[in-house]
Amino acid sequence: MSETRPDHAALSHSGRAIWLRRDAEKITGSLPPLLAEASQLAHVLASGLHGRKRAGPGEDFWQFRQALPGDPASAIDWRRSGRGDALFLRDREWETAQTVSIWADAAQSMNFKGPDSDRTKGERARLLALSLAILLSSAGERVALLGTAARQPRNGETQMQRMAMELARESGKTSDYGSVPLTPLPRGSRAVFLSDFLGPDETIFPVLARAADSGVKGCLVQILDASEEAFPFDGRTVFQSMAGTIDFETQRARALRTAYLERLAARRARLQDSADRNGWRAHFHRTNESPRKALLWLYMGIGVPA
Amino acid sequence: MLVLGPLGFAAPWLLAAVLALPILWWLLRAVPPKPAVRKFPGVSLLVGLIDPEKMPDRTPWWLLMLRVLALAAAMIGFAGPVLNPDNRPAGSGPLLVLIDGSWASAAEWQDLRANVADVLDRAQADGRTVALHAMTAPLPSDDALPFRDAAEWSIRLPAMEPQAWPSDRAGFAEWLDANDAGSFETLWFTDGLANSADESLFAILSESGPVTLFDDGEPALAITGPVISDQALLVEVLRSKADAELTLTISAIGSDPIGIERVLGQSEAIFGASDLKTEARFEMPLELRNRVSRMIIQGVASAGAVALLDESSRRRKVGLVAGVPDREAQQYVSPMFYLKKALAPSAELIEVPLADLLPASPDVIILADVGRLPATEAETLAEWVRMGGLLVRFAGPRLAQSGTGQLEDDPLLPVQLRAGGRNLGGAMSWGTPKTLRPFPAGSPFQGLAVPGEITVTSQVMAQPGPDLSGKVLAALEDGTPLVTGQALGEGKVILFHVTANAEWSNLPLSGLFVEMLERLTASARVAVAPVADLTGETWTPVKVLNGFGQFTDSGLATGVSGERLAEGGVGHDMPPGIYAAGERQVAINLMQAGSELAAMAAPPSNIIIGSIAAATEIDLKPLLLLLALALIVADVLGTLWVSGRLTGPRVAAAVLFMLAISLTGGRADAQSGDEAALLAANNSVLAYVLTGDDRVDAISLAGLRGLSRILTERTAIEPVAPVAVDVESDELAFYPFLYWPISELQPSPTDAAFTKLNTYLRHGGMIMFDTRDANLGRSAGASSNAIVLQRLTAKLDIPPLEPMPRDHVLTRTFYLLQEFPGRWTGSDVWVEAAPAAETMEGMPFRNLNDGVTPVIIGGNDWAAAWALDENGSPMFPVGRGVGGEGQREIAWRFGVNVIMHVMTGNYKSDQVHVPALLERLGQ
Repeated sequence: MSETRPDHAALSHSGRAIWLRRDAEKITGSLPPLLAEASQLAHVLASGLHGRKRAGPGEDFWQFRQALPGDPASAIDWRRSGRGDALFLRDREWETAQTVSIWADAAQSMNFKGPDSDRTKGERARLLALSLAILLSSAGERVALLGTAARQPRNGETQMQRMAMELARESGKTSDYGSVPLTPLPRGSRAVFLSDFLGPDETIFPVLARAADSGVKGCLVQILDASEEAFPFDGRTVFQSMAGTIDFETQRARALRTAYLERLAARRARLQDSADRNGWRAHFHRTNESPRKALLWLYMGIGVPA
Repeated sequence: MLVLGPLGFAAPWLLAAVLALPILWWLLRAVPPKPAVRKFPGVSLLVGLIDPEKMPDRTPWWLLMLRVLALAAAMIGFAGPVLNPDNRPAGSGPLLVLIDGSWASAAEWQDLRANVADVLDRAQADGRTVALHAMTAPLPSDDALPFRDAAEWSIRLPAMEPQAWPSDRAGFAEWLDANDAGSFETLWFTDGLANSADESLFAILSESGPVTLFDDGEPALAITGPVISDQALLVEVLRSKADAELTLTISAIGSDPIGIERVLGQSEAIFGASDLKTEARFEMPLELRNRVSRMIIQGVASAGAVALLDESSRRRKVGLVAGVPDREAQQYVSPMFYLKKALAPSAELIEVPLADLLPASPDVIILADVGRLPATEAETLAEWVRMGGLLVRFAGPRLAQSGTGQLEDDPLLPVQLRAGGRNLGGAMSWGTPKTLRPFPAGSPFQGLAVPGEITVTSQVMAQPGPDLSGKVLAALEDGTPLVTGQALGEGKVILFHVTANAEWSNLPLSGLFVEMLERLTASARVAVAPVADLTGETWTPVKVLNGFGQFTDSGLATGVSGERLAEGGVGHDMPPGIYAAGERQVAINLMQAGSELAAMAAPPSNIIIGSIAAATEIDLKPLLLLLALALIVADVLGTLWVSGRLTGPRVAAAVLFMLAISLTGGRADAQSGDEAALLAANNSVLAYVLTGDDRVDAISLAGLRGLSRILTERTAIEPVAPVAVDVESDELAFYPFLYWPISELQPSPTDAAFTKLNTYLRHGGMIMFDTRDANLGRSAGASSNAIVLQRLTAKLDIPPLEPMPRDHVLTRTFYLLQEFPGRWTGSDVWVEAAPAAETMEGMPFRNLNDGVTPVIIGGNDWAAAWALDENGSPMFPVGRGVGGEGQREIAWRFGVNVIMHVMTGNYKSDQVHVPALLERLGQ
């Protein structure tokens, strides 16, 4: 994002967090605050800042109602009450916050960077995660980062800081392909999964089904490198997974291109299909595309009622 | 060394490795190219796919072939293959390399020297001691052959030159015979000429060991000293072998009237198929002939092909003796006047009394109306004629009155005279003046046109006799003899029956008279100074020939005694050339008329005939290794291609690499050199000399950049960016001005660079030397930079210098200046000293001669004052404050003046005279 951005690896943990935060704020800056759709208001226990179309704790005016016995005297709106004999209270709209759980895949496969790319898929995922979190947080939503220490849904600057620190943490020894953490999602909350979804089927689709069962809706973003979409290889090649657990040797890589692209298309179709059936939305993002495109899509995906 | 046909191998056992190639082939085939390993997360999608195309896991045959060929080329290369190997067996023991080294080897000297060098190299490799002797050189001074290390001779060999005289085989044979040199092998590089001592030399050399004779087989060509015969110069042309018809061009060379040497005449010498000798004839006017100084065989560079002419074959010495002393008032009636006028252009005249004349050895003596001679003088004169002199007498009143030869046969008169003469056409005579008949056959005057207006009124008459008609060389129309002649001994006596003045006939007034006298003098035999004359004098060489037939400096040659000269035959003590003693000059030629050339006879059977033209060895190792390298490069590219990794940038890199290999650096350099030359030739460019000190060079660049900018702003000179010049490698001719800062890091230029710099200075270039040390005080010559300057300029052709005078043109070429500061100020600036000032009337300025001063030497560090950085601001502080900036301005002005001076030469110097000139014009 910034041309003066130093090499990711050369920074300390907190330094990386700061940079990530900056990048994220940069791409969110031009979007209006996100108001998550609150159709599941009744099921949400926690209060939030969204208007719930009913009176309750909140900032905005909702309605005047006649004071009932037991209402505190301090709640009386004397200005309204002064027009007549009845005492009126000023009800405010009950505001509540949406909970959005974000999962940014931190597996080894996300550390891949094609020869013509300058960011790894993981970097892009973390960037999108934090950008989205900042957008949501500034709109009053509560954000959680699944699988990390910031998994408790909160909002505010502290949560942002914590998330940035978590996202910038070195992934360490992780598995080849990521799988969604099995922590139960808050009922009716929203979820965003950022991954390449190249891992085994059983690590992906059951999780979606389970999430849908608990009323969680959300977005899938498959982040791929350009070389993973184009497969520009030729010659005698041994392909290895990032952690080296899988390898595959071919005599002429070029000849496998068609088959590979077919399989990739099938995987995407399945992701799309699975998302559709579970009320999710799927998006396919390439690291050489602008991250704003994906963020805008996420904004739409989270904000528009499913 | 293993030899297979024309190929030899220095290390043949390495060839055994070639047998391993099939195994290598099998091994290489078995090992497939290593696959590329790629990290790729998408591998999970690949798992389970089946390769539709089976890539051969074996190396393709052509790649294998490349590798095997590369290896084979390397193996064969390391086995040291040599084309046309020199497989002469290694010899042992001392080796005598005998060279004739005469003029006959000159044409093939380079080959001969190369062959001898080869022999020496081999001898050194074999560890043999060698004695190298050229038989044209003096005999070894001690009594043993100088057997030494071959390397020592190799050092001396390049200095050996063919000599202009024949090799002294007889002397060497005698010397060998006298000194027992032990046993040795002999390699004799002969010039192919026969010599009387050949047999004995062969015999003596064979006694000591095997003898190999190398002969280049080329016939030797020579030209003899010219002789004059029948009005023509005649040279004999000789060759040593008659193998085919041959036509040679002989040129006569001499100076033209201006003194420039030219070819004055050419003639062809034609050899028949079996001729060893032919001759070339030069028919040329006497005037031209007299100027011929040498004759050469065109296209042959050897001393044998040059024949020198001395004075003797040119102007004749003519002694004039008058019977009547000259009378002052009557010079136009004096016979001597007519004779001198007629002879002066073509002959050297000696006018002394007869007694003193003979010792001067004249070729011709003319007696004009001399009557009776004293008996002793008559006797010596007759003796001189008998020795070959030509005596020409003119009649006259005194001869007629003296009665000489009227009663008896006078040997000094060709005919007997009748008492009294005859007068024709006078007041008292009946007859009319007689004209001349055409000249009879056999007369020296034959062929001369006789003008009809020549008349004879008086003459002495010959006594008729039976032999008179044979003596008549010219006659009147009535048959009366006018000129008679008779041989006397080897000489000749000729009598003109008229006077040498216009008294008796008008013959002396005509051109015919001149032609007749020229014919006579030219027919005179050249007087050879008798041996007695040569002895006792030392003849110093004026010009001597070297073996290639060029004149060399005879400065070191010692004089030759007259006895040696008389003995004849050239040698190391008397090379052919021109020798002088006092006024006299003689030409000593290699070949005299009558000498012969012969090829060396076939040597005895025990002599080995070596062939001199062995095919040169060609070492194939570098070629093969280069081939191997090229194949390996091709293999790298092929491997990349096969494994699919020859993509995108790699292709470009490979192509670039191949281009880089195929293009040599030299051509790239030449290209850039051309561009630099074009830039400098099409623009004004200031240049500075690279010192090797980066900082100094950077200041020079910035300084000249600043000066160029100032020039562009203020003057019509608009230089492009300054250029750095390496005096070793760059052409200087394009740069009118060189700034040369002195740095201690500067290495001394090579001699070639000095030559270039001197040429540059002589042809109008200017170098500005800057020692940059004026801040260190005025102790000129003491600073380290000044010492470097002395070292650098030691070999430069720098004229006398003087501190720049106040009226030097540099002070007014553009700005009027009185001081010449740079970053420092105060030190003297030295320029070429003006020649003695020619103060002209009303002109206070020096009339400096044409040139620009070729050097300016100073220490004010001008470049630092001129220097501007890229932004156009000064790089170095000058002086202090405003005064310092003023000094910088003056420095720039001085720079402008210098460049103006360089570009305009003395134009500005002339300009200062314009007011004076205008003033004069006004008057």
